[in-house]
Amino acid sequence: EVPPSCSSGCESCSEYNGCTKCRPRLFILLERSEIRQTGVCLATCPVGYYGIRNRDVNRCTQCKIENCADCFSRTFCTKCKEGLYSYIGRCYHSCPEGLTTINSTMECVV
Amino acid sequence: SPDSATRLLVPVLVLGLGVFTLRAAGQGRSTPATCSPLCRCDEDGGADCSGKGLSTVPTGLSAFTYYLDLSMNNITELPANVFKNLPYLEELRLAGNDLAFIHPEALSGLHQLKVLMLQNNQLKTVPSDALKNLNALQSLRLDANHITVVPEDSFEGLQQLRHLWLDDNSLTEVPVGPLQHQGNLQALTLALNRITHIPDHAFANLSSLVLEYKIILFLLFRDLNFNSLQSFPEAIQTLPKLKELGFHTNSIDTIPEGAFQRNPLLRTIMLRGASMVQDFPSLAGTGNLESLTLTGTKIKAIPEDLCEDLSVLRTLDLSYNEIEELPSFQGCVRLQDITLQHNHIQQIDRDTFQGLTNLRVLDLSRNQIKLIHRDAFLSLSSLTNLCFKFIFQPEFLCCSIVVIFTMSCVVFLPACVCVCVYRSISVPYAYQCCAFVACDGTSSSSSESKEKRKASGDDEEVERIPLVMHCSPSPGAFKPCAHLLGSWM
Repeated sequence: EVPPSCSSGCESCSEYNGCTKCRPRLFILLERSEIRQTGVCLATCPVGYYGIRNRDVNRCTQCKIENCADCFSRTFCTKCKEGLYSYIGRCYHSCPEGLTTINSTMECVV
Repeated sequence: SPDSATRLLVPVLVLGLGVFTLRAAGQGRSTPATCSPLCRCDEDGGADCSGKGLSTVPTGLSAFTYYLDLSMNNITELPANVFKNLPYLEELRLAGNDLAFIHPEALSGLHQLKVLMLQNNQLKTVPSDALKNLNALQSLRLDANHITVVPEDSFEGLQQLRHLWLDDNSLTEVPVGPLQHQGNLQALTLALNRITHIPDHAFANLSSLVLEYKIILFLLFRDLNFNSLQSFPEAIQTLPKLKELGFHTNSIDTIPEGAFQRNPLLRTIMLRGASMVQDFPSLAGTGNLESLTLTGTKIKAIPEDLCEDLSVLRTLDLSYNEIEELPSFQGCVRLQDITLQHNHIQQIDRDTFQGLTNLRVLDLSRNQIKLIHRDAFLSLSSLTNLCFKFIFQPEFLCCSIVVIFTMSCVVFLPACVCVCVYRSISVPYAYQCCAFVACDGTSSSSSESKEKRKASGDDEEVERIPLVMHCSPSPGAFKPCAHLLGSWM
């Protein structure tokens, strides 16, 4: 029985650091408050993070793309923040020169 | 008279009715969107029913729901028309259930659905019938299921599909047929499957159909009871728009000459654990490379001219190889992060890292470094993390050693190798700041050594960065440093 301090999907829980090992194929997200880190198990990483799957541990990792809300990998954004246009995995306040703006899908196309 | 009274009454009645109707209408409009007691709904049409132990899709949700999260429940199947009352749904999350069956009519009516998350379920095949009419779908997650079969018509009708996750399944081949009509596909991951061979034409159609867009390709071959990939897949050459390529854990032994020549837009190359590779790959034609990761190989040497073409390279990870000597990285002027840990490096020359003014992180841990030129790090004015962890017999060019705790590693650094490279360091615990109390002393000595050099005429035109040593949290008034590091001071 996993103590309440750990989220569902946890396989081994610690009193101070929450979940230290998630059930297979779930992602572990390390939430930080001051110098304490708490592990949480998720099937989907939160906004601003993407999941890296590996054979032993699946991790939620922060997107490193400016103005990105959801990303596919470290450098490819799938959903830009409100009001921004996306073009090949990056986010723009206005479409780069030479591209056409599609407001319905908030995208830039050639 | 009665007539006048009646006449008076009628307007009042009408007025009253009017007001009544208004209020009723007002109420009708202002009645908050309905929500199921099992969910939390917000005012904008979002409904979070995740982690509630549900075995079926809850009823009673507002027709205006645009976001529905049903993840981490126990839903094993989706019956027909289960979402027919939610015509405005744009994002549907069903990750982390035990879904094994999706009725062909389960998703009918969801004409505005853009994001569908089915990862972490028990699907054995792509539910192609159910996906058929999702004309607005852009992102489809099918990762972490047990998919062995991708029917030919799997993604038919998904003209807007841009991002597809098929990683962590049991595919034995690249689904060439099902993908060939995906004109807008931008990002695809096939990681953690059992694909042992990629036909040369695997992505040919994708490259022509996606002239404007790039493809990210993450291929990870799990070598369970199969042999993993033996040779570098030529199929990569049919992707002129490829910008990011990832290979992990496979048995490729050589990367052919000009392997990336037809991928001029490559920004990221990640080859981890190519344990049989012995020679550094030719990177000809990759002038746009921003990140190069090449780890876990038998590579012993880095080409001298590595940085000639890589002027925009920002991240270089060559850890866990067998590298003995380092070339000069001077041409890679944009480098911010170099990781060389776990190699056999023995010497750092004066020009090895010279001119890398953007370099922030340099990890040389777990090497066999015997000799460091005194000015090796002089011009690294942006350096914040310099790691030397576990260097065994450092014969440095000069004198005492200062112990420096940085964010993640303990470093032995010669006092007179330019410590002034550091500006400010923050460490988790106050006692770790004790080391910098010694450095304060060193900063003045480095300015003294400057004077000495001036006198000796040895002061080349190299700009000395004024040292401002700031460590937080500071050890505080109780002076634990003397007790902790007394002998080192």
